[in-house]
Amino acid sequence: MSDLQNLLMGLGVALESYNLLVALVGLVIGIVVGVLPGLGGANGVAILIPVVVSMRPTTGIILLSSIYWGALYGGSITSILFNIPGEPWSVATTFDGYPMAKAGKPGEALELAFLAHAAGGLLGVVMLTFFAPAIAEFALRFGPAEVFAVMVLTFSAFVGLGGKSPVKTIASIMLGFILAAVGLDIVSGTLRLTYGSVPLMGGFSFIVAVIGLFGLGEIFLTVEEGLKVDGIKVHLRFRDVRDGLKDLLHLKKALVLGSVIGCWMGLKPGGATPASFMAYGFAKQSASNREQFGHGAPAGIVAPESAAHAAGTSATLPMITLGIPGSPTMAVIMGGLMIFGLQPGPMLFKEHPDFVWGLIASCWVGNIVGFFIVLAAAPLFASILKIRFAIFMPVIVYVCAVGAYAVNNRMIDVWYMRGFGVLGYLFKKLDYPIAPMVLALVLGDMAEQAMRQALIMGQGSPAVFFRPPIALPIMVLALAIFFWPVISYVRHHYHPGSHPKAKAAA
Amino acid sequence: MRKANVAIALLLAAVAILVIVDAVRLGFRWNANGPESGFFPFWLGAILLVCAAVELHGVFSEHRRHEAARRLMPPGAWKPIAWVLAPALAMVLATELVGLHLAAALYLAFYMRAVGKIRWSTTVAVAVLVPAVLYVAFDKLFLVPMPQGLWGAKLLPF
Repeated sequence: MSDLQNLLMGLGVALESYNLLVALVGLVIGIVVGVLPGLGGANGVAILIPVVVSMRPTTGIILLSSIYWGALYGGSITSILFNIPGEPWSVATTFDGYPMAKAGKPGEALELAFLAHAAGGLLGVVMLTFFAPAIAEFALRFGPAEVFAVMVLTFSAFVGLGGKSPVKTIASIMLGFILAAVGLDIVSGTLRLTYGSVPLMGGFSFIVAVIGLFGLGEIFLTVEEGLKVDGIKVHLRFRDVRDGLKDLLHLKKALVLGSVIGCWMGLKPGGATPASFMAYGFAKQSASNREQFGHGAPAGIVAPESAAHAAGTSATLPMITLGIPGSPTMAVIMGGLMIFGLQPGPMLFKEHPDFVWGLIASCWVGNIVGFFIVLAAAPLFASILKIRFAIFMPVIVYVCAVGAYAVNNRMIDVWYMRGFGVLGYLFKKLDYPIAPMVLALVLGDMAEQAMRQALIMGQGSPAVFFRPPIALPIMVLALAIFFWPVISYVRHHYHPGSHPKAKAAA
Repeated sequence: MRKANVAIALLLAAVAILVIVDAVRLGFRWNANGPESGFFPFWLGAILLVCAAVELHGVFSEHRRHEAARRLMPPGAWKPIAWVLAPALAMVLATELVGLHLAAALYLAFYMRAVGKIRWSTTVAVAVLVPAVLYVAFDKLFLVPMPQGLWGAKLLPF
């Protein structure tokens, strides 16, 4: 099989001693970033992009993606031991992880979480390895209209399935596209939306936006709530691993459920966070010991953790095959790819197979090595949170400023970052979703180009976006998902006894 | 909460109008080469304007009354937030004079000591070590120079 040969070739790249070292460094940074509230996967990656530019593309992407895998692992340590979710996708883990740790089984809870991560992650990587080439092959037939249709599908998923107010979601998507359009129009070469201001001519960098929205915004939220750190001590022994594995055999259902939901959710944008909540909900629904949930049910740890990690890894699939990232962190990684001059999408498989397979192989390596790192050093990483908040908070602000400045070596970007921080805080408070805005900012130029080319091909008729055989079904699906809130509103309305959800009318 | 919602909706509407005005200037219809460069922004602005209008209408509707009563932030929460924002603002301003790393050292020391009440020894250690590590990592190892400000090059001549 040629896929296996390619994978072996990729493993050769990923296991080069330098790349392996970089992956280790990335994983450790990722776990630290995942443990610290206010410094998540997305802005951890964003801050390091300027550093990565000086590396070879494959090495750079291995570093960036390793940070992501590390952050996925790291988030669960603090949820379980401190009841503080280090990452949004580990909120669901606090429901049962913290009670279980409090009940005197912190080691077991951590073991279960790590094993669930590894299992979910591996399922995602298996899917990536065996489906990505086929999907990329198929996507080679996409023209501009099809590319645009896929983007419409992507953003429809936020509106229809995101669970937030559809109006606020659309507003946030539009704002992202508008920010992306500021500056030079790549097609005609004219300046747009700058109103004559020189700093605006450079446009807005999505890296700066990510650092502000996710970094500073998150810090404001943490400061406002007041961080109380009340940790549980833990010693991990080898016996715990054995017990954890044994337990996991009894939790097959939760594990499979979580991984499958995760893989599915990771393909669509939205990613790990909704996947973890959904998996938790389903696991609770289908469990026989439902009353144990919320008081330390092992399945309540395994399901959301495996879902989060499966979603994280499977988000790589649409990114490298279609150029559509499945999560905000993936969007930032994709931005890193574009800085290297590598256009994500089906052609990547043809033009840079060494790069693609190096990345896929490093997903295997990173997720397995990451498992052993957290296993060996979870208590060490947990002790990071013993550092007083007043010490690491200003350090995070400083690191964010360094990252924002380094993008373009412009001081104005540090100011933008502050603005985005306040905006991110307000958006979080008022329930405007942030992820679609970041995705729109990253995809803006690509979406506009695809739309303009398609319209030229269709001589101005929007019917081109509905041309069979590929664009039509994608658009129909996109519209169905887009109007899903309306459909479910109508359905609820005609079923007496059930409350109509008010959000569709908002 | 309602006030904040209204404010954000108005802000979005203002952005939308700015975008539409500029798109009209650029031309948003068709010319010989296909859609003009204002085409995409025009529709973005139009949709955003509609969203802002719907949101403004929705804020005052009946079923969102419970939202109006909720507070944007818990009472007194603006204080710690201001304590983050103001010194950080001072850091950015000081950067223009002494460079980012030195400004950050001052900022770290100030926040830890004045807000966090951290011991002097810890404060000094962190305020010196963290900028030193970042200086070596970014400016020297990865050759991503940070701003030096007016006097930074003289104060840190290595």
